[in-house]
Amino acid sequence: MELTSPFTLEYAYKRSLGPVLSRFFTALRDGRLEGVRTATGRVLFPPLEYDPDTGEDVGEPVEVGPGGVVTAWTAAPPPGEAWVLVRLDGADTAMLHRFTGDPASLETGLRVTARLAEQRVGFITDIAGFEVEA
Amino acid sequence: MSTPVAITGIGQTRYAAKRDDLSMPGLVREAAKRALDDAGVDWSDIDAVVLGKAPDMFEGVVQPELFLAGALGAVGKPMMRVHTAGSVGGSTAVVASHLISSGVHKRILTVAWEKQSESNAMWALSQRFPFAPPTTAGAGGYFAPIIRAYMRRTDAPEHIGWQVAVKDRQNAALNPLAHLQIPDISLEKVQASPMLWDPIRYLETCPSSDGACAMVMSCEDDGHKDAAWVHGTAMRSEPMLFAGRDEVSPQAGKDCARDAYAEAGITPADIDCAELYVPFSWYEPMWLENVGLAESGWRAVDEGRTALGGDLPINMSGGVLSSNPIGASGMIRFAEAALQVRGRAGAHQVDGAKLALGHAYGGGSQFFSMWIVGSERPS
Repeated sequence: MELTSPFTLEYAYKRSLGPVLSRFFTALRDGRLEGVRTATGRVLFPPLEYDPDTGEDVGEPVEVGPGGVVTAWTAAPPPGEAWVLVRLDGADTAMLHRFTGDPASLETGLRVTARLAEQRVGFITDIAGFEVEA
Repeated sequence: MSTPVAITGIGQTRYAAKRDDLSMPGLVREAAKRALDDAGVDWSDIDAVVLGKAPDMFEGVVQPELFLAGALGAVGKPMMRVHTAGSVGGSTAVVASHLISSGVHKRILTVAWEKQSESNAMWALSQRFPFAPPTTAGAGGYFAPIIRAYMRRTDAPEHIGWQVAVKDRQNAALNPLAHLQIPDISLEKVQASPMLWDPIRYLETCPSSDGACAMVMSCEDDGHKDAAWVHGTAMRSEPMLFAGRDEVSPQAGKDCARDAYAEAGITPADIDCAELYVPFSWYEPMWLENVGLAESGWRAVDEGRTALGGDLPINMSGGVLSSNPIGASGMIRFAEAALQVRGRAGAHQVDGAKLALGHAYGGGSQFFSMWIVGSERPS
């Protein structure tokens, strides 16, 4: 005989973002897309607290986008979701996000633009998704 | 013949109930950067990073070594995580030192941390897992009956715990990084504080702290005339529950101490001062006996021998009773021992300290780690 017992574990953790990411999410809530410049001159978007190449602190914020270019993409068959890696104008790194346009239009190099959510709360979903640039 | 290990850099955060000015990566970074600066080295000078962290449930971060690699300059370098419950800060330092003494690496950054404000250790330690005995009321509930057993066994008077609580907070007042600052602490205040888990009163317990501690260890002195040197290390464990177990003075703790002294080639009488892991006041006399520093731990306390001006100062930094970022608390003991033999402990320095002991324990008094550090390079 095998004995089993249900066990539910729930706890609401807290998170503090620190100065770099607090600035990023505050700007995002206000409708601005801000990356950070590293000591070597690269612009990271979304920002990281520390330069992954050198381990050094990152520098001042740099406004990027809202337009950008698709560097890679994937789409599930309809009615599935489509996902894009987008390098925003002015940034050197790409971010993964949802593509809200017609998946049939997706191709590497496609110009897209960020569509911000109407109600923004300081979370990454304040970018509702990316759509084809007009 | 193993390579001698030098501690050339030590960095600690300020300890506080809430460091909500920093993310978790920012917290470990603060300690790590201070250790690098103290050693006079840069991220690129580090060969590998060894991270210590208490149970994942405390912050809900699984595999923190991956989460924190970027903040610790470890991208592309060997990085590992050590986990031995509350003793982890000590074990992490021991593991890091072995990576030098074995000749595997030349310079290591080791870091241990906890951000208790983003979690709830009491909750994490009070789960009633199916088919397992509950600890029911956090660490205090678990340890209180063991303390009672010590008092009964040794006829220790009740005020011993109060004396430790006062002494450690007086020491904390000399340590600007310490979390609890209670300059007007007194026996009366401790005695009047609420009883939490008989016989443990509120002021006889450790706080919940955010903080991190870091050290740079090297196979040479990195040009630092005041480097601390590792003379002996040891780790031991035993099961939490078995028939006939001595929970007051666990065999694993005795064995761990014996090994550390033997490796250092010394006896307990050679130790000038020690940082023992004391989260509840009574664990000072209990560990004094367990690690062989005193025949009667409570008499050593009662006679004032463990005060900063005594002949066997214990927890000069204020100890776990004054700052407790759990995962880091063991490493703070080890780092503070190293600061003492470097003569760098500031207002809580023990004059002329040459050999110091760092000690940590964890779980249900089942994991032990210790190191002995000295001002001289071991021969």
